[in-house]
Order: sequence, then C-alpha cells, then structure tokens
Amino acid sequence: MTQLYYISITGKLLNNVEMDQAVENFARRFKLPLEKAQQMIQKAPVILKKGLDEDSALKYQQASKSVGLDCQISKEASQASNSSESLTTSQIISDGKALGEQHDSNQCPKSMPEHQFRYAGKPDYGFVTIDLPANDTIKVEASSMATMDTNIRMKTKLKGGLGRFITGESLFINEFTAENGPGEIGIAPATPGDITHQYLNGNTLFLQNSAFVACSMGVNTETKWQGFTKGFFSGENFFLIKCSGQGDLWFNTYGALIEIDIEDEYVVDTGNIVAFSEGLDYQITKVGGYKSLFFSGEGFVCRFKGRGKLWMQTRGTDAFVNWCQSFRRVESSS
Amino acid sequence: MNIEFLHAPANTVAKVSLKPGEICTAEAGAMMAMSGNTQITTTTYKKSGRGILKGLKRMLAGESFFVNHFEAKNKEAELWLGAAISGDMMQYQLDNESLIVQGSSFLACEHQVEIDLGWQGFKSLLSGESIFWLNLKGSGKVIINAFGAIYPIEVDGEYIVDSGHIVAFNESLNFSITKAGSSWIQSILGGEGLVCKFNGQGTVWCQSHNPSSFGNHLTPELKPIKK
Repeated sequence: MTQLYYISITGKLLNNVEMDQAVENFARRFKLPLEKAQQMIQKAPVILKKGLDEDSALKYQQASKSVGLDCQISKEASQASNSSESLTTSQIISDGKALGEQHDSNQCPKSMPEHQFRYAGKPDYGFVTIDLPANDTIKVEASSMATMDTNIRMKTKLKGGLGRFITGESLFINEFTAENGPGEIGIAPATPGDITHQYLNGNTLFLQNSAFVACSMGVNTETKWQGFTKGFFSGENFFLIKCSGQGDLWFNTYGALIEIDIEDEYVVDTGNIVAFSEGLDYQITKVGGYKSLFFSGEGFVCRFKGRGKLWMQTRGTDAFVNWCQSFRRVESSS
Repeated sequence: MNIEFLHAPANTVAKVSLKPGEICTAEAGAMMAMSGNTQITTTTYKKSGRGILKGLKRMLAGESFFVNHFEAKNKEAELWLGAAISGDMMQYQLDNESLIVQGSSFLACEHQVEIDLGWQGFKSLLSGESIFWLNLKGSGKVIINAFGAIYPIEVDGEYIVDSGHIVAFNESLNFSITKAGSSWIQSILGGEGLVCKFNGQGTVWCQSHNPSSFGNHLTPELKPIKK
C-alpha cells in the first residue's frame, strides 16, 4: 500500500490574481462550469481530489497554482477509506453541497478580522488550531495547549490576579508568542464538547468559569466576584469571567452547545450556563417553592431578564460527578 | 406537547414545546433551561395526590422520590431537558398501553401518563444489577434517555439481553432472570452474571453501553467514602 494524498484548495489567491480571473482560469483548467468553479472557491477550503499518489498530487498542485489558487497536499489518514472515498473532481462537485456542509462546521468564518483558525472534531470533541502571525501573542487557558510549532514560546502570567484563586478557574492564563515567524497552536479543552468563537468588538461577554479557552491580546479577562447572593448560594461554582475589549474569543462547553436568543425572560440551571451577553440581567433564584428547592433536583437556577444572547451546554460537570458518586468504594477507617 | 431532539446521538437534548396550560412531568434534575413563564411544582408522584405510598415505591425504584411538573402559564413555553451521562434519547407514543422503563432511563412524559412501579421491580432485585422498573401507563408521549445509542429489537419468541443494557420494553413481553452460560460457575466467571430472557412478542429497546460497567470502570479513580 502506498501513501495516498488528497489535495484541497485553501481559498487564498496567489500572484495577485483577481478573484474573477482565478475562477475563470480554474474553470477552464479543470473543465468545470463557471458557476461551479465559483461555488467551490467560495466554499474553500474544499477538497479538490482524493486518492492521489505523490506524483499526481504534485501535478494537481502545480495546475492549481498556475491558475492562481493556493492549495495544500495532505496525507490521507486511513488506507481503508481510500478506495471507497476516492472521488473524482466531478463527483465532488455533484456532491458539492454535502461536502460544503461537512466542511462548514470545521471552517473558519469568512470575514475573520483577526486570527485564522480551524476546528477539528466538532461538535462532539471540539479542538481548535489557531494560526499566529509572526510575533503575535494569544492568551490560552493553562494546560489547554495540545500541540504547537517549535517557534512558539510560552509565558505564564498571573492574569486576573488573586481573583482567579476564587473563581476555581486554574490560576494561570498562559501567553503564547510566535517568535521569528508565524506558527500554529492546537488547543484542546478539558471537557469533551463543542468549541466556539466570538469576535468581540467593544461588547462584553460573561463566561462561566470553566468555559474559557483562548483569546487574543485585545480581550481583557477579569474575574467578576458575584457577591454572596449571586455566587455563593448557587451551589455551583458559579463565577464569571468578564471578557471585554476587541479581539477573538474562544470558549468551550461540556456536551453540545445551544444558543438561545432571550427576548424577555428565561430560566437556566446554573450548571448549564456557558456564556451570556452583557445586556442580560440575571438573578440566582430558587426554581419554585421551598419543596422544589430541596427535592426538585434543580436547586438554584439563574433567571435571565432582558434581551440578549445565551449559550448553554447540554451537560453539567456537577451532574456527572453526582452520577459517579454511587460508584465510589466504601472504606472503613479502622 | 411537541418534542424535538437536538445534537443526537452523543449529546442529545430534548426541546419540549408546551402550549398554554400543558404540563410536562420530568425526572428530578433533568431541567436545563425553560422559558420564564413556566411554573414548576415538585411532587412525589402525581399532582393529583395518592402521594406518599407511590412516592415510597418510587424511592424503592431507585428513581428519585420526586418528579417535577412544568406548566406553561398564559402563553407557550419551551423546556430543555438533558441527562447527566452522554447518550441518545427517544420518544414513544403510548396508546392506552404500558411501557416498562428502566428506572434511570426515564426522562419525562406528558402529564396524563401514569407512572408506577411494575412488579418486575421486585423480580429484578435478583438480576444482580441495581435496576428497577417503572411502569408507564395510559396515553401520551414519553421521553426516554440512554447511555450510548438506543436500538430496538423486535422479539418474537425468545431473546436474551444483559440486564444493564435494557432501556425499555413493551408490557406484552414477559421476562425472567436466567444465567448466561450453561452452568452457574461459567456465567459468573464470564462476567455476564445474570441476564434477562424475554418471552413473547414485542419490542425491547437496548442501550449500547452499560452504565454500571462504566461506573465500575471509574471506581478505582474515585475517592473512596470513609466510614
């Protein structure tokens, strides 16, 4: 078995070619209708051809570069999938929609103001790889770095000061800087779940203490002491990280991610809150009467009022830990 | 009551839409979020009473003693329900019949569905797994959650399922506890222990993973309880 390769266009244009020109060249060169060529380039990164050996992969790359389209050769992962999945260009195009969709969840949004990044394993096991331009720095939750280029240097900062002791968030945010050239860093959150990105443009987001993954230097992170009524009595480690400023922000969930647009009032279990926007006023309350407080299994909930956006996760660490309790060994302390 | 499942199968969550006045009964602790106009009441078993005895039976069943009733006040409301461990969910439409559900797999049902402990509960004490059964009777929608994937098996005649993998089954099926191997020693050494043998005609819904196997797998990593 020889190593097979697949080739994908990245969507970047080379040699100052105009978009229209590139589409036209691409269509002519690969004998595609103009419309489809355009769709493919717009959906980039998109796989051009799979199941190639090294020589033909290089030929494809050359052909693609000659029309002004940047492209990448990647090794195919499993040999088993080669035969069944080696698609010809025409097949890919006829399935263009399906392929495009498949890529969407792992694709970086088009109008990315700051960092380029890609996801893997979404939505069940989200992982993000962020490209850092030379000498750029990002802040990453401590111990979340999984992979990185060798020219990236890490610096530990006591960001957020002593407040971070209280939040239960690991004490440090690490800063990663790409020295002497660009680099990439792969970040894996601690819990299996989804990962998402928001671009802050002067607006403020509140993150639950364990949801923070990474942000660019323009984002200020400060822990917000909830006060006793809001934090302490909630029964969960319900502390918030206030993220404001300008730049990229990534956060993760435990389980799937659900976005809710709140219009007037919404009640959420404190363990399921991931993040919410600034316009919402919130209050920790008991869920119903006192009977419900003790026996409903919900305890305290967060009652949001106003207009804004809320992100929640489908699972809670607390609920899982509770579930595990019954499997603890019993030891006699003799 | 309209039920929609999102993020299936690994991180399934049930989005329940309630019309004004509709009530959804859910397992304690299952609520993730709800509209502000939802009213929650906690009762032992059913709003209409006959409480304590039923409640005690539910306690015996390993299901928590209490269930929550969510009512949409004045206007439509939505309710999000989730489970502690990852896995799929399914809905079942009861049509004047009974469905036997494994205690920890019950998530929610329409208010008019009666929740009761079936007699199987006592039988299954013998099955070696701490599993109990709820008997859901009447007409209405039921939501069931599982650990891992759910797959139905149509039984016509006899079929054997490991008791930890059963999620629910039609009441038309009888079941007996039996040994997996040909001898008792083999069954116990083989790690299968006791299994359920179904008899008759009907459907058994199974879960791809056994929660107690996973739990036991975690046991060495968990802090022991000092006594």
